[in-house]
Amino acid sequence: MRDWLTRLHAPTLAVAAFIVAGWWALSVHYGAYVLPSPRAVMAGFRDIVASGEVWTHTGASLARIAVGFGGAVVVALLLGLVAFLSRLARGVVHDVLVVLNSTSVFVWIVISIIWFGLSNWAPIFTTFMITLPVVASNIVEGVASVDRRLLEMGDVYRLSGRRKFTAIVVPSTLPYLVAGMKVGFGLALKVSVVAEIFGVTSGIGYVMNFSREILATQMVFVWALVMILVMTLTDKLVFDTVARRLTRWRA
Amino acid sequence: MKLEVDGVGKDYLIPVIDSVSFAAEAGDFVCLLGPNGCGKTTLLRIVGGIEPATRGRVVLDGRPVVAEQRQSRKVGIVFQEDRLLPWMTLRDNVGLVLTPLGAGITERAATADRYLKLVGLGGFEGYYPGRVSGGMRQRAAIARALAIEPDLLLMDEPFGALDAQNRRIMQTEVRRIWRETGRTIVFVTHSIEEAVAIGTTLVMLSARPSRVRELIRNDGRAERAKLVDDLNTMIMEEVERQQGEGPPGA
Repeated sequence: MRDWLTRLHAPTLAVAAFIVAGWWALSVHYGAYVLPSPRAVMAGFRDIVASGEVWTHTGASLARIAVGFGGAVVVALLLGLVAFLSRLARGVVHDVLVVLNSTSVFVWIVISIIWFGLSNWAPIFTTFMITLPVVASNIVEGVASVDRRLLEMGDVYRLSGRRKFTAIVVPSTLPYLVAGMKVGFGLALKVSVVAEIFGVTSGIGYVMNFSREILATQMVFVWALVMILVMTLTDKLVFDTVARRLTRWRA
Repeated sequence: MKLEVDGVGKDYLIPVIDSVSFAAEAGDFVCLLGPNGCGKTTLLRIVGGIEPATRGRVVLDGRPVVAEQRQSRKVGIVFQEDRLLPWMTLRDNVGLVLTPLGAGITERAATADRYLKLVGLGGFEGYYPGRVSGGMRQRAAIARALAIEPDLLLMDEPFGALDAQNRRIMQTEVRRIWRETGRTIVFVTHSIEEAVAIGTTLVMLSARPSRVRELIRNDGRAERAKLVDDLNTMIMEEVERQQGEGPPGA
C-alpha cells in the first residue's frame, strides 16, 4: 500500500488536483460548449464504458495500428537484417530513413486518401509510413553497434553465421528494438487517430471529430482521456515489462 | 602440437613486425615479451589466424595457418578483455563455443561445468558475467578456451586488467592447468616476472619493427633473479631504442 502511494507520487497528485480545480473554474466561466466541466467528462466516460462504445472505437483504432505499426516493425526488421549483412546497404537504408523521418504526417494522410480513398487503408498506410523510420532507425543503430570484438570471438571459435546472428547480433539489438517499438507505438496511436478524421466510420479519431460536429464537446475530452489511458497502460504494462525481462542479465 | 613461426612480418602503414621466427614443441609454454607497441598482440593474432601476415608463415603440425579460413585445427584464444556474452550465463558462454564441435545440449552443459570447475568457478555456472568479478570473468574466458580442447592456446595479456593479488592467483592457476592438460600455450605479457615465473620458453622481441632479440629456455637452470635482471635490462634498451626513433615520419 505504501509502495503504491509513493509510486503515485503525492506532489503529482496535488498538482493534478490543482489543475482539475482550475479546469472546473474555467468551465463555469466559459460554458459547456467551449470547456465542459470535469464532472460532465467523468459522466461521459461512464456512459461509453457502460454502453461498450469505448471498446468498439478503441478496438477499431488498435486494429488499424496493429496492421500499420505491425507491418512497420516487420519491414524494419528486414531492413535491419539487410543492414547487418551489407555495409553498403546500411548506408542506403540510413539515408532513406533520414528522408522518411523528415516527411510530415500530413503528406502521408493526403497521399493515402488519394491512393486508398476513404477506407481503412488510409490510416493504416499513414501509420506505417510514420512509424517505419522510427523503428527502423533504432534497429539499424542497434545492428551497427554490435560489439565487433564479440563477433571476432565468434569467428575465433568458428561459430556458424547463423549461430553468431542468434547468439550475438539478436541479443545486442533487442534493447534497441524494444526502445524503437515503444516510441513507435506512441507515435502510431497519435498519428492513426489524426488519419481517422477522414473517411472512416469508427475509431477514436472518427468519434472525436463526430462529437465535435454534434457539439458534444465533453465527448472530445472523454476520448482524449481514453487515448491517454491506452498509451500509459501499454507503456507500463507491455513495453516496460518486456524491457525489464530482456535485460534481466544486467547487474 | 608443434608450432613453427617462420619469418613472420606485418606492415600496416609502417612495418610493425620485421621478421620473427621461433618454434614451440607440444606442451611448451611460450611467453612473448617486448616493449609496448612492438607487435606482440599482432603476432598472436597472426598465429591465431585472425589476421594475415604480410611475410612469412605460421605452421601448426606441418599445416600452414591461413587467416580467415575455417580449419580443422582447434585454437583457443583468451583476449585482453574477457569477451563473454553478457546475456548468457557462464555455463552458456562456455557451452556456446562447443556447438561447432557437434556436441548436444546436455553434453555442452556438462563439459562447460567441468571446465568452469577446473578454473575454480564451480558453483557459479548459472551466474551472468555482470554479476561476478573481473578475475572470475577472465577465468570463465580461460575455461571457454580450454573447453574446446585446443591444440594451441593463445593468451593475450589475460591478466592485464586484474589487480596484483588476483594476478598472482591466476598465474598459479594457469600454470596448474597447463601442467594438468599439457596444452601448447603462447602467452603475451609485458611483465617479465610473470614470464619468468610461468614460461618454459621466453621470446624477447626488439623495438618496432620487431625481430627476436633473445630466445631463452627457462628450464630452471638459470638463476631466476639474474634472468629477470637481464630481461629488464634488455627491455629498457629496446624501449629507449623505440623512443629514440621518434614517431614515424618525424
